[in-house]
Amino acid sequence: MMTAPEETVLDIRGQVCPSSLLTTLKVLNQNAESLRRGSIRVRVLTDSRDAVVTIPNAALNMGFKAQVEKLPEGHYEVVISHEAD
Amino acid sequence: MTLSVIFVATALLLVGLAAGFILHRSDFCMAGAFRDLFLFRSTFMLRPLLLLVIVAAVLFEIERQIGLVRSPFPFFGAPTLFSLIGGILFGLGMVLSGGCVIGILYKLGGGSRLALIALVGMVLGSGLYAEMHQYVVPLARKLTFTRSITLPQLTGVSPLWWVLGSLLFGGSLLWRWQQSGQLRRTSLVAGYLQPWRAALLLAVLLAVSAAVAGVPFGVTTSYLKWMAWIEQLWFPAHVASLPIYNAQPVQMSLPFAADTLSGGAGPSFDAVALMQFPLIGGIILGAAFSSWRLREWSWHGQVPFSQMMAAFAGGLLMAFGSRLTPGCNVWHLWGGLPIFALQSILFVVGLLPGAWLGGRVVSWIVLGKEMK
Repeated sequence: MMTAPEETVLDIRGQVCPSSLLTTLKVLNQNAESLRRGSIRVRVLTDSRDAVVTIPNAALNMGFKAQVEKLPEGHYEVVISHEAD
Repeated sequence: MTLSVIFVATALLLVGLAAGFILHRSDFCMAGAFRDLFLFRSTFMLRPLLLLVIVAAVLFEIERQIGLVRSPFPFFGAPTLFSLIGGILFGLGMVLSGGCVIGILYKLGGGSRLALIALVGMVLGSGLYAEMHQYVVPLARKLTFTRSITLPQLTGVSPLWWVLGSLLFGGSLLWRWQQSGQLRRTSLVAGYLQPWRAALLLAVLLAVSAAVAGVPFGVTTSYLKWMAWIEQLWFPAHVASLPIYNAQPVQMSLPFAADTLSGGAGPSFDAVALMQFPLIGGIILGAAFSSWRLREWSWHGQVPFSQMMAAFAGGLLMAFGSRLTPGCNVWHLWGGLPIFALQSILFVVGLLPGAWLGGRVVSWIVLGKEMK
């Protein structure tokens, strides 16, 4: 039976590159197993325009899906997930 | 004279506003360009940088041929060992700060608190360096490699040939990248400007700056100036006694005026203030306008303390690097490389190990023991 994935929110607003990407990679690595199983997804909040390019690219390279959306408050969210294995 | 000054200040303010807007939209981050080469094996941002250098080289050479600019530009001097050491310190500093001298300005315009911390570090670092400058100068004189300022001077080959050669070599590389789509990248941010487009626009703005003010983009001497002003409030006698604040190394010929304006790092409104203040203000405001138009402006916060300290330390290091070289990365990458200045070549060679080390330090700060 499929259950909705849990969501981990990573708020890195204010951080610039490369810290924003490194922090995200750290969380993705820590949760790689659960992400691959499809039991969680990671929602990254960032206001670094550069990170909106680098984070989805890094997530795709790791085999994950990444969806980018600009929120009404003016910052961006990148949702990183994986189809359940 | 007054009209000339107003003309130059207005023109540079407009150049700064446009540059700030372009830098913000394209995230034309020079710290990232060098850092990501080592940290993520990404060479993407070095490609538009090469485009900028080559187009600026062509434009500066045209301006020189028609007598619009004097080349090499004022401020450029003979290369010393300190140009290389300055590059290393600067490379480390810009990666720790998350932005170079101009990167800090456009990020500050976008509301980054870290950028403000780095800027404070740069101003304070400039003041600290001022205390040692008198001991550095005789050493630098001893460690000078050659009296030539540029490669054309060193080799006796006209700048025209150097420009044509780099146009041929760099142009063919850029053509290949353009054909294989390596000059573009996908970005989902609002209002994104492709960095190769930004490179072309920035090269034109550099040429305008050179024509109007006699120099490409430079900002860091202003930080010495600000520090001199601050120190003067409490220690006027000390400021007056420091050689760095008394020297007037710049002679600027004003358009539509017969006389020249001199300037230096001292606490006064002189040629350096005229060349740099409008540009600094313009870049910050231009980036702020871009960010506000996209409804993205916010005074960012909630940054781990270790990252704030890194930004501050990076600012201090960039100040020392800029003063030892002398000149910041944008001065050398965008102004010095296009005229084949030897100082700039040494500085860029130094940036590489500096940026590599910076990447290691930032990884250690963020990832701690998990660092691979």
